Amino acid sequence: MSFSNSLKGSSSQQWSYTFNMIGVLAICGSLIEAFYYQIFMHELPCPLCQLQRVALTMAGIGMMLNMRFGPSAVHYAIVLASSIAGAAASVRQILLHIEPGDPGYGSDLFGLHFYTWSFFSFLTMMIFCSMMLCIDRNNMTAAFKTAASALTAFVMYLFLTLAAANTVTSIMVCKFGSCPDNPTVYYWKF
Amino acid sequence: MVMMLPFFTAMLAIWFGIRGQRTVAITSWVITFIIYLGWLKYHITDKLNISL
Repeated sequence: MSFSNSLKGSSSQQWSYTFNMIGVLAICGSLIEAFYYQIFMHELPCPLCQLQRVALTMAGIGMMLNMRFGPSAVHYAIVLASSIAGAAASVRQILLHIEPGDPGYGSDLFGLHFYTWSFFSFLTMMIFCSMMLCIDRNNMTAAFKTAASALTAFVMYLFLTLAAANTVTSIMVCKFGSCPDNPTVYYWKF
Repeated sequence: MVMMLPFFTAMLAIWFGIRGQRTVAITSWVITFIIYLGWLKYHITDKLNISL
Protein backbone atom coordinates (compact mmCIF):
# COMPACT_ATOMS: atom_id res chain seq x y z
CA MET A 1 0.00 0.00 0.00
CA SER A 2 1.45 3.35 -0.87
CA PHE A 3 0.68 6.74 0.51
CA SER A 4 2.22 8.47 -2.45
CA ASN A 5 1.03 12.04 -2.08
CA SER A 6 3.06 14.25 0.15
CA LEU A 7 1.65 16.70 2.64
CA LYS A 8 1.88 20.10 1.02
CA GLY A 9 0.43 23.38 2.02
CA SER A 10 0.40 25.85 4.83
CA SER A 11 1.83 25.39 8.27
CA SER A 12 -1.71 25.20 9.67
CA GLN A 13 -2.22 22.04 7.57
CA GLN A 14 0.94 20.58 9.04
CA TRP A 15 -0.22 21.48 12.55
CA SER A 16 -3.55 19.88 11.78
CA TYR A 17 -1.85 16.71 10.60
CA THR A 18 0.40 16.60 13.67
CA PHE A 19 -2.39 17.23 16.19
CA ASN A 20 -4.63 14.60 14.60
CA MET A 21 -1.80 12.10 14.65
CA ILE A 22 -1.17 12.84 18.33
CA GLY A 23 -4.92 12.30 18.91
CA VAL A 24 -4.87 8.89 17.22
CA LEU A 25 -1.74 7.93 19.16
CA ALA A 26 -3.38 9.01 22.44
CA ILE A 27 -6.40 6.83 21.63
CA CYS A 28 -4.11 3.92 20.77
CA GLY A 29 -2.36 4.47 24.11
CA SER A 30 -5.68 4.36 25.97
CA LEU A 31 -6.69 1.14 24.21
CA ILE A 32 -3.27 -0.44 24.93
CA GLU A 33 -3.57 0.54 28.58
CA ALA A 34 -7.05 -1.05 28.71
CA PHE A 35 -5.60 -4.22 27.19
CA TYR A 36 -2.78 -4.19 29.75
CA TYR A 37 -5.27 -4.24 32.62
CA GLN A 38 -7.40 -6.84 30.84
CA ILE A 39 -4.53 -9.23 30.09
CA PHE A 40 -2.09 -8.74 32.98
CA MET A 41 -4.44 -7.64 35.79
CA HIS A 42 -7.26 -9.97 34.69
CA GLU A 43 -9.86 -7.18 34.72
CA LEU A 44 -12.37 -8.09 32.04
CA PRO A 45 -14.29 -5.19 30.48
CA CYS A 46 -17.90 -4.66 31.51
CA PRO A 47 -20.49 -3.78 28.81
CA LEU A 48 -20.18 -0.03 29.45
CA CYS A 49 -16.37 -0.37 29.37
CA GLN A 50 -16.70 -2.07 25.97
CA LEU A 51 -18.93 0.75 24.75
CA GLN A 52 -16.35 3.33 25.86
CA ARG A 53 -13.72 1.43 23.88
CA VAL A 54 -16.00 1.51 20.82
CA ALA A 55 -16.52 5.27 21.27
CA LEU A 56 -12.77 5.86 21.57
CA THR A 57 -12.26 3.90 18.36
CA MET A 58 -15.06 5.80 16.60
CA ALA A 59 -13.49 9.14 17.61
CA GLY A 60 -10.12 7.89 16.41
CA ILE A 61 -11.63 7.13 13.00
CA GLY A 62 -12.43 10.84 12.52
CA MET A 63 -8.88 11.83 13.45
CA MET A 64 -7.41 9.12 11.24
CA LEU A 65 -9.49 10.34 8.28
CA ASN A 66 -8.09 13.84 8.92
CA MET A 67 -4.60 12.38 8.75
CA ARG A 68 -5.31 10.34 5.65
CA PHE A 69 -7.42 12.71 3.55
CA GLY A 70 -6.81 16.13 5.06
CA PRO A 71 -9.07 18.03 7.47
CA SER A 72 -12.80 18.10 6.86
CA ALA A 73 -15.83 19.27 8.84
CA VAL A 74 -17.31 15.79 8.38
CA HIS A 75 -14.28 14.20 10.06
CA TYR A 76 -14.52 16.58 13.01
CA ALA A 77 -18.27 15.88 13.21
CA ILE A 78 -17.36 12.18 13.52
CA VAL A 79 -14.98 12.95 16.41
CA LEU A 80 -17.56 15.19 18.12
CA ALA A 81 -20.51 12.78 17.79
CA SER A 82 -18.35 9.88 19.00
CA SER A 83 -17.13 11.92 21.98
CA ILE A 84 -20.67 12.85 23.01
CA ALA A 85 -21.80 9.21 22.70
CA GLY A 86 -18.77 8.01 24.68
CA ALA A 87 -19.28 10.64 27.37
CA ALA A 88 -22.87 9.39 27.78
CA ALA A 89 -21.61 5.85 28.50
CA SER A 90 -18.90 7.01 30.90
CA VAL A 91 -21.25 9.35 32.81
CA ARG A 92 -23.69 6.48 33.16
CA GLN A 93 -20.95 4.31 34.65
CA ILE A 94 -19.85 7.09 37.01
CA LEU A 95 -23.47 7.39 38.21
CA LEU A 96 -23.69 3.61 38.73
CA HIS A 97 -20.88 3.86 41.29
CA ILE A 98 -21.62 7.27 42.80
CA GLU A 99 -23.03 5.94 46.07
CA PRO A 100 -20.84 6.58 49.13
CA GLY A 101 -18.88 3.45 49.97
CA ASP A 102 -19.15 1.98 46.48
CA PRO A 103 -15.67 0.71 45.53
CA GLY A 104 -16.34 1.28 41.83
CA TYR A 105 -15.59 -1.08 38.96
CA GLY A 106 -12.01 -2.23 38.40
CA SER A 107 -8.74 -0.60 39.35
CA ASP A 108 -8.06 3.08 39.63
CA LEU A 109 -5.29 5.12 38.07
CA PHE A 110 -3.98 8.11 40.04
CA GLY A 111 -7.07 7.95 42.24
CA LEU A 112 -9.67 7.92 39.46
CA HIS A 113 -11.40 4.94 37.89
CA PHE A 114 -10.98 4.34 34.19
CA TYR A 115 -14.53 5.40 33.35
CA THR A 116 -13.83 8.76 35.02
CA TRP A 117 -10.65 9.13 32.99
CA SER A 118 -12.67 8.09 29.98
CA PHE A 119 -15.14 10.92 30.60
CA PHE A 120 -12.26 13.41 30.79
CA SER A 121 -10.87 11.96 27.56
CA PHE A 122 -14.15 12.50 25.72
CA LEU A 123 -14.38 16.03 27.15
CA THR A 124 -10.83 16.69 25.94
CA MET A 125 -11.74 15.44 22.46
CA MET A 126 -14.68 17.86 22.34
CA ILE A 127 -12.31 20.71 23.23
CA PHE A 128 -9.85 19.31 20.65
CA CYS A 129 -12.57 19.62 17.99
CA SER A 130 -13.28 23.24 18.97
CA MET A 131 -9.58 24.06 18.74
CA MET A 132 -9.02 22.20 15.48
CA LEU A 133 -12.06 23.71 13.80
CA CYS A 134 -10.43 27.10 14.43
CA ILE A 135 -7.00 25.99 13.21
CA ASP A 136 -8.44 24.26 10.11
CA ARG A 137 -11.08 26.88 9.27
CA ASN A 138 -9.47 27.60 5.89
CA ASN A 139 -8.39 24.05 5.09
CA MET A 140 -11.63 22.08 5.13
CA THR A 141 -11.11 20.43 1.77
CA ALA A 142 -10.35 16.76 2.51
CA ALA A 143 -8.29 16.98 -0.65
CA PHE A 144 -6.83 13.50 -0.38
CA LYS A 145 -3.44 14.50 0.85
CA THR A 146 -1.40 12.40 3.17
CA ALA A 147 2.17 12.34 4.34
CA ALA A 148 4.31 9.66 2.77
CA SER A 149 5.87 8.76 6.05
CA ALA A 150 6.39 5.42 7.68
CA LEU A 151 5.05 6.98 10.87
CA THR A 152 1.65 7.63 9.23
CA ALA A 153 1.37 4.03 8.10
CA PHE A 154 2.56 2.78 11.49
CA VAL A 155 -0.03 4.82 13.40
CA MET A 156 -2.90 3.77 11.12
CA TYR A 157 -1.97 0.09 11.17
CA LEU A 158 -1.46 0.18 14.95
CA PHE A 159 -4.97 1.63 15.25
CA LEU A 160 -6.34 -1.07 12.92
CA THR A 161 -4.59 -3.80 14.93
CA LEU A 162 -6.06 -2.53 18.19
CA ALA A 163 -9.57 -2.43 16.65
CA ALA A 164 -9.09 -6.01 15.44
CA ALA A 165 -7.83 -7.09 18.88
CA ASN A 166 -10.88 -5.49 20.50
CA THR A 167 -13.15 -7.36 18.08
CA VAL A 168 -11.52 -10.67 19.04
CA THR A 169 -11.54 -10.04 22.80
CA SER A 170 -15.17 -8.89 22.71
CA ILE A 171 -16.02 -12.28 21.18
CA MET A 172 -13.96 -14.00 23.89
CA VAL A 173 -15.78 -12.14 26.67
CA CYS A 174 -19.29 -11.91 25.22
CA LYS A 175 -19.40 -14.55 22.46
CA PHE A 176 -21.90 -13.44 19.81
CA GLY A 177 -24.39 -11.86 22.20
CA SER A 178 -24.67 -9.29 24.93
CA CYS A 179 -21.97 -9.12 27.61
CA PRO A 180 -22.44 -10.16 31.25
CA ASP A 181 -22.71 -7.21 33.66
CA ASN A 182 -19.68 -8.28 35.65
CA PRO A 183 -17.56 -10.62 33.53
CA THR A 184 -14.98 -12.70 35.40
CA VAL A 185 -14.07 -15.41 32.88
CA TYR A 186 -13.52 -15.67 29.14
CA TYR A 187 -16.17 -17.71 27.40
CA TRP A 188 -13.72 -18.59 24.67
CA LYS A 189 -9.99 -19.03 24.99
CA PHE A 190 -7.48 -19.62 22.26
CA MET B 1 -27.61 -8.03 19.61
CA VAL B 2 -23.96 -8.78 19.16
CA MET B 3 -21.36 -6.85 21.16
CA MET B 4 -18.56 -7.52 18.74
CA LEU B 5 -20.49 -5.93 15.87
CA PRO B 6 -19.57 -2.25 16.56
CA PHE B 7 -15.91 -3.24 17.00
CA PHE B 8 -16.05 -5.09 13.69
CA THR B 9 -17.70 -2.26 11.75
CA ALA B 10 -15.27 0.24 13.32
CA MET B 11 -12.41 -2.00 12.19
CA LEU B 12 -13.88 -2.00 8.68
CA ALA B 13 -14.10 1.82 8.76
CA ILE B 14 -10.40 2.03 9.67
CA TRP B 15 -9.49 -0.48 6.97
CA PHE B 16 -11.40 1.38 4.27
CA GLY B 17 -9.86 4.65 5.50
CA ILE B 18 -6.37 3.21 5.11
CA ARG B 19 -7.30 1.87 1.66
CA GLY B 20 -8.34 5.38 0.60
CA GLN B 21 -12.08 4.68 0.31
CA ARG B 22 -13.32 7.67 2.29
CA THR B 23 -17.05 7.35 1.55
CA VAL B 24 -17.13 3.67 2.49
CA ALA B 25 -15.15 4.43 5.65
CA ILE B 26 -17.64 7.14 6.67
CA THR B 27 -20.57 4.82 5.87
CA SER B 28 -19.01 2.13 8.08
CA TRP B 29 -18.63 4.70 10.85
CA VAL B 30 -22.32 5.65 10.53
CA ILE B 31 -23.29 1.96 10.83
CA THR B 32 -21.02 1.66 13.89
CA PHE B 33 -22.63 4.73 15.44
CA ILE B 34 -26.15 3.37 14.92
CA ILE B 35 -25.22 0.01 16.49
CA TYR B 36 -23.52 1.89 19.33
CA LEU B 37 -26.68 3.90 20.04
CA GLY B 38 -28.67 0.66 20.14
CA TRP B 39 -26.26 -0.83 22.68
CA LEU B 40 -26.19 2.41 24.66
CA LYS B 41 -29.99 2.40 24.98
CA TYR B 42 -29.85 -1.26 26.06
CA HIS B 43 -27.26 -0.63 28.79
CA ILE B 44 -28.12 2.79 30.20
CA THR B 45 -31.90 2.66 30.52
CA ASP B 46 -32.20 0.33 33.53
CA LYS B 47 -32.91 1.90 36.91
CA LEU B 48 -30.02 3.48 38.84
CA ASN B 49 -29.56 2.35 42.43
CA ILE B 50 -29.70 5.87 43.87
CA SER B 51 -32.46 8.00 45.34
CA LEU B 52 -32.68 11.65 44.40
